[in-house]
Amino acid sequence: MSGTKHAVVVTNVAKHFKKSAKRREYTTFKSELVRFIKGERAAIETSLHIEALKGVDLAVPKGSTVGIIGRNGSGKSTLLKLITGIYTPTSGTVQVNGRISALLELGAGFHPDFTGRENILINGIILGMSRADVKARMTEIIEFAELGDFIDEPVRTYSSGMFMRLAFAVATHVDPEILIVDEILSVGDEHFSKKSQAKMSEFKASGKTILLVTHSLDTVEQWCDLAVWIDGGRTRLIGSPKHVVAEYRRAVNAAEAQSEKTGHSALSAPGLALPETVRPQSTQETLRATTVSVVDARGQRPEAFGADAPLDVVVDFEATAAQSGECSVDVQTADGRLLFSTTFVAGALPVGRGRVRLSFPRAGLGEGSWTIAASMHAPSVTPQTAATTSFLVDAHPGVGLVRPLHTWSLEAPAR
Amino acid sequence: MIRNLRELYQYRALLWALTVRELRARYRASVLGFLWTFLNPTLSMAVYVFVFGWLMESDTARFPYFVFSGLIPWIYFSSSVGAGTSAVSERRDLLTKVRFPAQVLPATVVLTNAINFLLSIPLLVLLGVVYGQWPTWHFVFIVPLLLVQTLFTLAITYVVSAMNVAFRDLQHIMGNILQLGFFLTPVIWRIEQVKTLEQQQLVVLLNPVAALVEAWHDIFFRQRVPAAMPLAVVTVLSLVMMWLASTLFEHRREEFAELI
Repeated sequence: MSGTKHAVVVTNVAKHFKKSAKRREYTTFKSELVRFIKGERAAIETSLHIEALKGVDLAVPKGSTVGIIGRNGSGKSTLLKLITGIYTPTSGTVQVNGRISALLELGAGFHPDFTGRENILINGIILGMSRADVKARMTEIIEFAELGDFIDEPVRTYSSGMFMRLAFAVATHVDPEILIVDEILSVGDEHFSKKSQAKMSEFKASGKTILLVTHSLDTVEQWCDLAVWIDGGRTRLIGSPKHVVAEYRRAVNAAEAQSEKTGHSALSAPGLALPETVRPQSTQETLRATTVSVVDARGQRPEAFGADAPLDVVVDFEATAAQSGECSVDVQTADGRLLFSTTFVAGALPVGRGRVRLSFPRAGLGEGSWTIAASMHAPSVTPQTAATTSFLVDAHPGVGLVRPLHTWSLEAPAR
Repeated sequence: MIRNLRELYQYRALLWALTVRELRARYRASVLGFLWTFLNPTLSMAVYVFVFGWLMESDTARFPYFVFSGLIPWIYFSSSVGAGTSAVSERRDLLTKVRFPAQVLPATVVLTNAINFLLSIPLLVLLGVVYGQWPTWHFVFIVPLLLVQTLFTLAITYVVSAMNVAFRDLQHIMGNILQLGFFLTPVIWRIEQVKTLEQQQLVVLLNPVAALVEAWHDIFFRQRVPAAMPLAVVTVLSLVMMWLASTLFEHRREEFAELI
């Protein structure tokens, strides 16, 4: 854990908040005085602590892009604020090597009565640039924001999209060594979104360290070198994005399945940890899916599949001991929700490599990005996801998650 | 304290940018614009001159000039403290989203008012000329006096802005405290009108702002070297206050982002 290889080192960090909002929002002089006179001096609610983070360890290598995932209320944003230095940890240490720029909220400190140009200057300085720096980059920022003549109008006249574009433009031109981003890559329309993603690629390519909090698991898989799953205020899993995202999806699915059975959900209480997924160690090594791919009728992988075109899921696996096995394939939405799952009893498998094919005569899925999670496992064992892949489905006349086979007809009116 | 001031210096670009914005924002939507900087103290002076000079027939010579020379340093102090009280607590948008030293916020308020004060000085000099008082060499004391007053004002502003984060009703009380302070400070009355010399010294001793305002009176109105003793006391007091305020601010500022 030396400081030179890592941009950020978080060691066993805990953060507690005083729950002050019990009776009133803020303490007042009057209430403090009354308490003082009554002799209840500072009988402050030590029991009313909120433990936002209970013990987080994290080492971010320099130049890497790290995605932080987890449920709402799991402590992701608190962690970012600790790394940024807005909060100080209750215990543990946060070590940062390099100049940080944090995009926790776009447009912090914008003044509505001032023009875009004036706000760029202030916001740039707030984010840590010097006046000369901002002025030097002014044209670049204005061009990036695509505001046209509006740049000399007061910000209060902007549409929310324009506001966000301007804020994003300033924030990404700060030129930090470490960039901390909280769920902002989806700014603006398709065009601007592409542009902002290109900007992030540029950051990545120039060897800057990026810390990203997002609920878009696709983003994590596509962009990040490392994924961190924060759950219930602790680091639950750190590893390759594919692995962590798959595990996260499994836990969310398990929680959903559980809530269907018991009627109350682990997902409804914010900040509560997700249930543990069962993982027998015995079969883990002897049978596993190595890769999964999605191909069309010609065995090739198109940029996007047609909703009505055939689609095959090909699972390659490896068995190191002869055993009976099953193959499970989950189809998930881009945000990790299970659309459906199917299991195939493959029977006795010899030692060595093998392949399982799952054929859909037509994809039958709605437009968008989909994820396949495939696993090989012993019978009646909770599948352990080992391989995932994502693919796109093209636009089609229908709307929605699925596109079942259907026909329309006009019937003669009844007389 | 040194660290506090050093950080202020490091973030001088931000301090300056926020101050300029503050100055421009204040008058942006008004017709008279920047003229309000001069109009506000002038109108206040007119009110006091009308009530105390004309209706109550004050015996002070060149009364408007006297009032103005005490009023503008008082306004510098009271506006800084008054507006500074909520300087930290109302900037939730900044403090919870960006990392920067929070003392920039109260310092911005003080600097804004310091600039307004400086801009009012030519008007004061002009008024003096109207009453036949041309500038004298005593004006050299403006610089050190301004420094001491700024240090003192900044210290008080730090304390109240930090306290207001935890006790939000402070910002409502501050107006009344400042009003009391105004009447306890020799702006519309002369220190000589206090009965005994001991009482006069007591006023100056218990109210550092009175000592400061008296020094401004000395420079502009009485045209003499400001009394050394009270100023020395205020200077030492300001340094101690500044040290205490910086320490308090330093201890408290970690809580700001969580409390506001």
